[in-house]
Amino acid sequence: MVLSKADIAKYPFTVEAARYVKDLDLRIEDLANRDYDGIINRARERVEEAILYGVVGWNEAPNYDVEIISFPISIVMVLSTESSFLRKRYALAEAKKAYNLLRVEKEDEKLVEIASSSFNWDIKTAVGATRQTYDFALSFINYLENAPSFHDYKWKLVNRFMADGYVFLMKDELARLISEEAMKHVQKRLVGKIRAELPPTLIQAVGSITQLIVTQQETIQAEETPQVMVEEAYPPCIRALNESFHSNQSISHIGRFTLTSFLLNIGLSVEDVVKLFTSATDFDKNLTKYQVEHIAGKRGSGTKYTPPKCETLKTHGLCPGMDDVCKMVKHPLAYYRRKLRQTKAGTVAVKSG
Amino acid sequence: MDRSSVESFIREAFASYYHNNTVQSPIAIERREFGFLLFKERMMVRHKTFHIEKDLRSFIESTAPSDVYYSAAYYERPDEDMSRKGWLGADLIFDIDVDHINTPCRVKHAYWICKKCGEIGGGDPPSKCSKCEGEHFREEIWPCKTCMEITKTETRKLIGFLTDDFGFSSSEIKVFFSGHRGYHVHIENEGIGRLDQLARKEIVDYILGTGLKPELHELHETKSGMVVGPDPNDKGWRGKIARGIYDFLASATSRDLEKFKGVERRALEKIINNRDAFMEAWGRASWQDIRGVGIKTWEKISKYALQEQGASIDTVVTTDIHRLIRMPTTLHGKTGFKVVEIPVEDLEDFDPFSGAIAFKGDSMAIYVNWADRFEVRDMVYGPYKKERVKLPQAAAMFLLCKGVAEPTE
Repeated sequence: MVLSKADIAKYPFTVEAARYVKDLDLRIEDLANRDYDGIINRARERVEEAILYGVVGWNEAPNYDVEIISFPISIVMVLSTESSFLRKRYALAEAKKAYNLLRVEKEDEKLVEIASSSFNWDIKTAVGATRQTYDFALSFINYLENAPSFHDYKWKLVNRFMADGYVFLMKDELARLISEEAMKHVQKRLVGKIRAELPPTLIQAVGSITQLIVTQQETIQAEETPQVMVEEAYPPCIRALNESFHSNQSISHIGRFTLTSFLLNIGLSVEDVVKLFTSATDFDKNLTKYQVEHIAGKRGSGTKYTPPKCETLKTHGLCPGMDDVCKMVKHPLAYYRRKLRQTKAGTVAVKSG
Repeated sequence: MDRSSVESFIREAFASYYHNNTVQSPIAIERREFGFLLFKERMMVRHKTFHIEKDLRSFIESTAPSDVYYSAAYYERPDEDMSRKGWLGADLIFDIDVDHINTPCRVKHAYWICKKCGEIGGGDPPSKCSKCEGEHFREEIWPCKTCMEITKTETRKLIGFLTDDFGFSSSEIKVFFSGHRGYHVHIENEGIGRLDQLARKEIVDYILGTGLKPELHELHETKSGMVVGPDPNDKGWRGKIARGIYDFLASATSRDLEKFKGVERRALEKIINNRDAFMEAWGRASWQDIRGVGIKTWEKISKYALQEQGASIDTVVTTDIHRLIRMPTTLHGKTGFKVVEIPVEDLEDFDPFSGAIAFKGDSMAIYVNWADRFEVRDMVYGPYKKERVKLPQAAAMFLLCKGVAEPTE
């Protein structure tokens, strides 16, 4: 099937949309022409909608040309702000818009067309393929390129119906996967710097967007990690590792990595951790120091590591079973922070009572 | 004879093997990192690269390493440091090893080696070495045919997953005997090569059944209170769950009931007592005919059943996208056996203790400190304790490599 002009206006991340824009052979300097004011306004609006609402809007009867051409101009605007916050937020907002539209598309073939021609996915409609009713069958490889970042259990491959290399999906699910890939495509276009001189109308738009970011970002505050070690707030997995460690039982490599990176991330220094390890066991001090420094990012690639998330710990058999707090988090560090808040609140309550 | 002289003896034998036999390099040799464990000082040499097979062969022949590895990963610059290599992709690798499977007989094959004096004995290590009073021991498991059969069963289950669920053709799946206690399965496929660690973790979880929720595979209660579930003929995990429950029904004893803590005993007794009727209903895939057992009970049973359906792969090997893996056609330093490819259709009949023999020379005399029973080329040997024996080269090399024997002058 061929995408219509209305379709590429809805989905400006597609190859068809890119080709359409390319054929117009527009240059940035052309935008100084007042004829383009409408398009520039829509481009600015896209970005503002992303900042304010987290999703780019779509009305039922838009000017298709304005929709299609404003998208690459929005990209230029976002790049010009040089804000990494906006780059992420804009890509996500375009993806959300795509999701909202894709999930209500009447023709299944349209989703297949977008996924196969723009992303090269191995996909087909799945009518009658199985006893169960599904809309689509997607190669598990393409599925795994996107789904692992979704957290709900229904997205885990083990909980999918899979046969002969294909994962079976409902329309809403495929829409979600396509929008995730669309987000990556938008992100890829948001790399680099704009070197060309921008016309005044664009400079003005970028200025007002930058203002908007400043006011919005103030509402986002980074969560601080406390700098003291509170053993009562350790999650069950870390407790178990800590105990096996102190009772001199052997711990797998990944278990040691988890324990070490956890301790480093809750505020212990390399020296503290080395001391803790070598005093409790007969470990070689220099070797331990080297390994701890590596995890702390002071050697090798310089990456400071965080412990694996809960799911990974489960895969490697390091989750001893979840308690009530575990059920609310997906990462041992998140557990620690949450528990710490609870403990602190508890302490205060006791004192004041 | 001290250990290093024994090792030079083994090294000589390995060198002559590599002189007379040709190793086969992996595809895309120029993109791989190679690693070699040397006999000398048990040193690991890493980050080596070879542009052509000939260079790799002559390197192996001249150094005669104890073990040869290459990276499952493809790199832009395989000889650089890890952070500068430039990862391009990696083969999908599975490892099934006795080490991480609790085979029923493994306790029988435990033995120990004193780290101080090299004394060896069967069973769990003593608190103090009887010879030198040392307190540190290396704990090992003696390879046995029963254990190897279990790893083979797990490998067959894995191949089932790879073909039926993941849709790989049998020409894409390469199965190898690891040379020691298990099997390796390699998949070299362009699409899969780019998958990152997270994606590979999903594959691991799928094959082990980790995180599986039976309710997402059609096991649920309808509004009218009827339990409905998957069909044994379904593909994917659905069929596996249904078949797993069937297997459970077919074999469960009242003793198995004790495995299900927190489930109504009455429901389970009802299952056992009405087993035939239930199984007949199962054959017709008709959950409607199975009444009187609640959804919670079925969920517990299905979780138990799915453990038997998963294949026991090593979780770390598959998710590590920088892993060095043992190179096929080379020798395993702990056995003297070679890593051989086994066509999928021949796996059933493959016997590692005769199908992976590298040393086929005449008998030689060795002094054995300790050895459990073992089989090589359909002959049974041992057990031995502090005795001099004359064995065919393959059996003798096996004991020398295991570190439990030494050549006699």
